[in-house]
Amino acid sequence: MLFNSLQFLIFLPLVYVLYWFVFKKNLRYQNLLVIVASYIFYGWWDWRFLFLILFSTVLDFYVGQRIYEQGDNKTKARYWLWVSVFFNIGLLGFFKYYNFFIDSFLELFSALGYEIKSAWTLRIILPIGISFYTFQTLSYSLDIYYKKLKPTRNFISFAAFVAFFPQLVAGPIERASNLLKQINTKRVFNYEQATSGLKLILWGFFKKLVIADSLAPMVDDIFANYASYPASTLILGVCLFSFQVYGDFSGYTDIAIGTSKLFGIELMSNFKFPNFSRNIAEYWQRWHVSLSTWFRHYLYIPLGGSRVGKLKSIRNIAIIFLVSGLWHGANWTFVFWGAIHATLYIPVFLMGRNRLYAHSVIAQNSWLPSIKEVFQVVLTFVLVTFSRIFFRSPSIGDAFDYISQIINNFTYQSYVHPMGYRMLDFYVLIALFTLYEYLIRKDERHPFKFKNPVIRLFLYALIVISILLFYDDGVNRSFIYFQF
Amino acid sequence: MKKLFLKTLVYLVLILLIVEIVVRVFHLYTEDPPRFIDEFGVEKRVPDNMGYAVTGNRNQNYSRFNINKAGFNSHREFLPSEDKFEIALIGDSFIEGFHQDFYDSTGKKIENEVPNSEVYEYGYAGYDLANQIHLIKAYKSDFDLIDEIVIYLNYESDLERGFYEPNYGRIKMLASTPFKIRDNIKILAYGSKIGILEPIKRLVSGKAFEEPKDGYQTNEIETVKETEQKTIDLQRIENFKSLIKRYGFDKSKTSILLDSRKTSQQFLDYCTSNDIVVIDFAANFKSSKKATTLIYDWHWNNHGRDIIARTIADYINDKRK
Repeated sequence: MLFNSLQFLIFLPLVYVLYWFVFKKNLRYQNLLVIVASYIFYGWWDWRFLFLILFSTVLDFYVGQRIYEQGDNKTKARYWLWVSVFFNIGLLGFFKYYNFFIDSFLELFSALGYEIKSAWTLRIILPIGISFYTFQTLSYSLDIYYKKLKPTRNFISFAAFVAFFPQLVAGPIERASNLLKQINTKRVFNYEQATSGLKLILWGFFKKLVIADSLAPMVDDIFANYASYPASTLILGVCLFSFQVYGDFSGYTDIAIGTSKLFGIELMSNFKFPNFSRNIAEYWQRWHVSLSTWFRHYLYIPLGGSRVGKLKSIRNIAIIFLVSGLWHGANWTFVFWGAIHATLYIPVFLMGRNRLYAHSVIAQNSWLPSIKEVFQVVLTFVLVTFSRIFFRSPSIGDAFDYISQIINNFTYQSYVHPMGYRMLDFYVLIALFTLYEYLIRKDERHPFKFKNPVIRLFLYALIVISILLFYDDGVNRSFIYFQF
Repeated sequence: MKKLFLKTLVYLVLILLIVEIVVRVFHLYTEDPPRFIDEFGVEKRVPDNMGYAVTGNRNQNYSRFNINKAGFNSHREFLPSEDKFEIALIGDSFIEGFHQDFYDSTGKKIENEVPNSEVYEYGYAGYDLANQIHLIKAYKSDFDLIDEIVIYLNYESDLERGFYEPNYGRIKMLASTPFKIRDNIKILAYGSKIGILEPIKRLVSGKAFEEPKDGYQTNEIETVKETEQKTIDLQRIENFKSLIKRYGFDKSKTSILLDSRKTSQQFLDYCTSNDIVVIDFAANFKSSKKATTLIYDWHWNNHGRDIIARTIADYINDKRK
């Protein structure tokens, strides 16, 4: 079920009423409702894959307890941890990467001169959100193993934690220490939290329907026909994709966080205005935060993090970026994208500037950014946007062809929208969006933090009007990150 | 909780009110002048209506219409007489011309090219050949005075029936309360036009949970097998024969305006062998270096209308020599 669908428009109020009016007094029933609602939400796409979620839930619930029971017996605890890793990564590996690895082996053998005629590729459907919920359940077992968490004895709470519908298919990837704790606690309706949730939902819909969906036809057109476009259009295409993917994914996250707030649950922030990052390290502290912190806690630090020698630290950084790339999709384009980010991150790390902006935003104590900050932000945006050529292209070959087309056909020609719309409308839209994000840059959880209710009212109306002005009936409204 | 519901409701009402005002002030909605079926069974617009037709979410195409006393969008009244040279241009939305200002229509352009002429544009969105031929018969007294009749035929969609039947059901539906509400609340008229109300329409029609088509809708024509196409062509020719037999067709002053690129050769051959004059604008459109259609709704743009007008004018001027 999509957030931006009529089904969800009916589903959400129904679940909300049952949650607060029918099952309010009994936490157990409330959590049962969360599970049923979440399974309906997920099963709306394909009910068969509910068994995967259920399997992952049962497995980690059981494994978590076994790990905890081992106490200080590290060997046995590690054995149980490996059971969780094996099955969770195994599921992910089979559904997401099986064909990719088989194809890659075949290509490798072919390149070495050995043609293997029989291919063992299977027709596998990629279950929506598998990368998100497997990482979430895995984090539970890992936290217990690292003694950061005690396992829950309540299966219903645990199942609700794994399947919690607002964040089930595209995150944020929650830690049990945050989400499970809230699920285990009696929720009390809070007016401020609910209104804050509604505001985030509205802002999320704006980002999805106005920014992401209205740019989609242009991005699709440019990337599909890149061979026939000049450099100016290709550069425009990847810049627009930068805004599209940001609007799409951060819009989804805002709707997810806002919806959770309606149910009295706070999810972690996933996007903190990454377009205003001053270097690539800050970018990764602001883009898809739940994934980068996941890799930091469960891969980078166990590998030694930055406490080992320089060479090993560089190796660790390279590993997390390559794995992060592969996490996004079973395609070498994503691995390459990860490699580009590693290449950009390592110099920042070596200069000791990777935590420099961890606790500040652009123009922290002033209205306007300094010239240096503007330069830094533009440079970071350019580098990140360049890497997105690989993120968006269907193959490595296409990505390199796209780049070579920019170099070889370095001319300017104004671009015409596939539907013939005035491009100026979209440029103004992006400029205003960026300006507004700049104004609210210090608080990603409160996009309408204006004291005057009249200003707020006009902003809400403006959002609704923008949705109407840029609504495109023909766009495929699925979220980009569902495929991961 | 009560406070949340109340405040949300108040905000919703206020937001909708603001949006309604914005939609009205910037005229984002399109006006659809009321339709009716007159005593002759002709479907047309209620006379004496002026307004603006809008295409696209953001007024991408904005034009003024003027429904004359005859019930058609035109810069002039239709008053045929013996002592004038009149041309009737009959067709669907391309001739009705809600995508252009009424004072810059194809008819006006023909008048500029054909000296001392008056062009009467009997255009109505949704007309097919049955509507058109029936109209000529229904207004026989007027058409007897009109010197030239040009019927615009879209071969792919205008020959689907061999007889005319007024669609009272549709007119009744458009005059019903839900449609009146839609037309008077401009945010609904606007939302309906841009397709944002589609899910609600699906809900009302019980199709809410059917999977919508993914991806972009294209206007590609489905490829039909050659044998199937032959059958379709034969049926269309039969329909054409049936219509002219039933309602008459004055070959001496009636011609068919069409695009031969979208018309079957069989039908063109039939017209030739039966002395039915065809005004084909395909070559002129093909040789045009500028776009001939609007980008938003595929109707003829100003340049396209120039070409159509010149093509018709050339034919008429030649005939008058």
